[in-house]
Amino acid sequence: MSFFYTMQNFFEALRHEGMPVSPSHAVDCYEALNSIDWDVEDYFYSALFSTLLKDYNYKPLFDHVYEHFFKSSPCILRLKGQQVLSREDLLGLEGENSQAGDVSGDINAEGAESQGTFINKSSSAPDGRKNPLSQDFRLDSIDDVRRMETLFPIIAKRLASKMIIKNKRNDRNFINFRRTMRKSMSTGGIPLDLITRRKQKERPVLFALCDVSVSVLQFSCFALALLASLEKFFQHVRSFGFVDEVDEITYMLRHADPFTLRTNVLKNARVVGRRGYSDYGISFKNFLERYGSQLSLKTTVLIFGDGRNNWGNDEAWAVEEIRKRTKKMYWFNPENKDTWDTGDSRMREYLKYCDRSFEVTNLLQMEDAFCEL
Amino acid sequence: MQDNIKQIEQDMYQAGYICDDKTATTLFLSEALHKPILVEGPAGVGKTAIAQAFSRMKGLPLVRLQCYEGIDESKAMYEWDYKRQLLHIQAVANKQLDVKEVEQDIFSDYFLLRRPLLNAISCPTPTVLLIDEIDKVDFEFEAMLLEILSEFQVSIPEFGTVKANHIPYVFLTSNATRELSEALKRRCLYMYLDFPIPELEEQILLLKIPDISERLARQIAEVVRKIRLVHLKKAPSIAESIDWAQSLISLGKDDLDVDTALRTLNILAKYREDLVKLDQMVQTQRSLNFLPVLGSQSGGVQMSAPQTSKPSELNPKQKFSMKSIEGFKNVKK
Repeated sequence: MSFFYTMQNFFEALRHEGMPVSPSHAVDCYEALNSIDWDVEDYFYSALFSTLLKDYNYKPLFDHVYEHFFKSSPCILRLKGQQVLSREDLLGLEGENSQAGDVSGDINAEGAESQGTFINKSSSAPDGRKNPLSQDFRLDSIDDVRRMETLFPIIAKRLASKMIIKNKRNDRNFINFRRTMRKSMSTGGIPLDLITRRKQKERPVLFALCDVSVSVLQFSCFALALLASLEKFFQHVRSFGFVDEVDEITYMLRHADPFTLRTNVLKNARVVGRRGYSDYGISFKNFLERYGSQLSLKTTVLIFGDGRNNWGNDEAWAVEEIRKRTKKMYWFNPENKDTWDTGDSRMREYLKYCDRSFEVTNLLQMEDAFCEL
Repeated sequence: MQDNIKQIEQDMYQAGYICDDKTATTLFLSEALHKPILVEGPAGVGKTAIAQAFSRMKGLPLVRLQCYEGIDESKAMYEWDYKRQLLHIQAVANKQLDVKEVEQDIFSDYFLLRRPLLNAISCPTPTVLLIDEIDKVDFEFEAMLLEILSEFQVSIPEFGTVKANHIPYVFLTSNATRELSEALKRRCLYMYLDFPIPELEEQILLLKIPDISERLARQIAEVVRKIRLVHLKKAPSIAESIDWAQSLISLGKDDLDVDTALRTLNILAKYREDLVKLDQMVQTQRSLNFLPVLGSQSGGVQMSAPQTSKPSELNPKQKFSMKSIEGFKNVKK
């Protein structure tokens, strides 16, 4: 087996595991290999690492494939004496490589049994298969939940930086003529310093209504904790949890870390009423009764839940009433859009009164949705 | 070729930076392939320092562009010094000169404020360009940067194109607060700096602090390694351990004991929660082993923990018993 084929298979295996390796990456990689000595494994590894890997999240995956290719089989040792690719080869590669990229689908299909699946069998690899941020909220094991939680600070940070940028962009370029002219008096009427008008930032008052029943628990807690961490972007965030009874949970969010939030809410807030199954109708009704007077036209209401009512009354009029008293109302649903309105889901009734609804099945979608607030 | 990499390692050591084989290889490759290096890693592991050391090693000037939210071309590339331009116009206003001439005048080099990127490119000698915290910039700026990094030229509409005499060595650092665009990543070699192994950290301490004894350096490296295993908000990095070593020396200590550590822990922990947690660990164990204590891992500084919850319920192992939740789901259906 020539070295070129080994490398090509190596790229193919990486691609198959979900790591983006473009033809230009490959060319870089060959160039790098051409300029170093392969006798020392660190050099060899580093050449591959620095040219192919561009995101630290993929490191475990990369290491795994690397190990399979170059550690278990003594590839490097065999390659030692071999002629390194000549310049001409390299120039020719670019064309070949882009072809390889085009037909990669076919190769994948053929080689899937022999090549790609070896990693799936081992236990550690599937982590890297997907971007962890696009992992589904419906998690099967405690480990999955843990992994998700470690991502949490990252996403909060990213979201915060996005929102700062968004805010900043809004208040550029408006010139405050009065103050500019006033300032220019001292320079003989020449406006040396342009003074820009700061746009009044509108920081909405947020009321977050959150289904904390078991079916959507994961999702709502992530959402709530994210909201809590973004508190400085909103004037005021108040959170309410409900199953078939509503209670305010703002104070629990304020200092809690997302790791203990879930249990806290269920234990210390009166969110469970008589039946113990989520009942949007009763919850909305009670919410309106108890907190309705605190709603104002500055308020934005966010509802997190799947809208599954367990066949209770939907009481859509309560939602309508809430909407009437507030500025905006958004619905975040952790289910796929296809499954809305199926079974006991009452999304259709409720959506009539919502300004927008978001399908939020993973953290990435949640990030995007929040950005639009 | 192998000698080249070893040489880089040695030269970098002379310049005050210890790099392992992998790091040195990446540095070598960036030189060989003329590619920028994108350095990622936790804060304080020496992302910026590697560029500084590199410029010292090469004996080239370091041009640093510190990025921040909202940085734009006028702060990074160039800007017309319009105050001076206006004054110039005022000055020549009465002399009835040709308008064209004046215009040519005011858009000349004299009125150009050079910012780091233009500086790095137009410098007569090669430079080391450090673009710090690239993840802070917005997308437009990143796109602009992309152009500079691929062409190494800046076009100024009124003036013409400034082409680089020498391609600068470029280092980009990022704390990964947001994802950089694929296009930018593709152009760079990727380097990830992680917390060093204790032996390496010991060497770093010995290099950075001439007065330190080998024993103290080893002790510090070992203790810091243990602290990094504790779940903290911000694990202490190399910068912190250097600070710590320095302060221990200025306290006249040549040996690390529990009491000294207790008094100086605030140098390592940058958050109150972390400090309290570490403090508790040392106090209860009377040693610097930083073993996890039951209960203190998640509950120690929980301000929101309501009075009703018992400490044992804060045990992280128990907090989501998914099995019971699964069972619950079934009941619901």
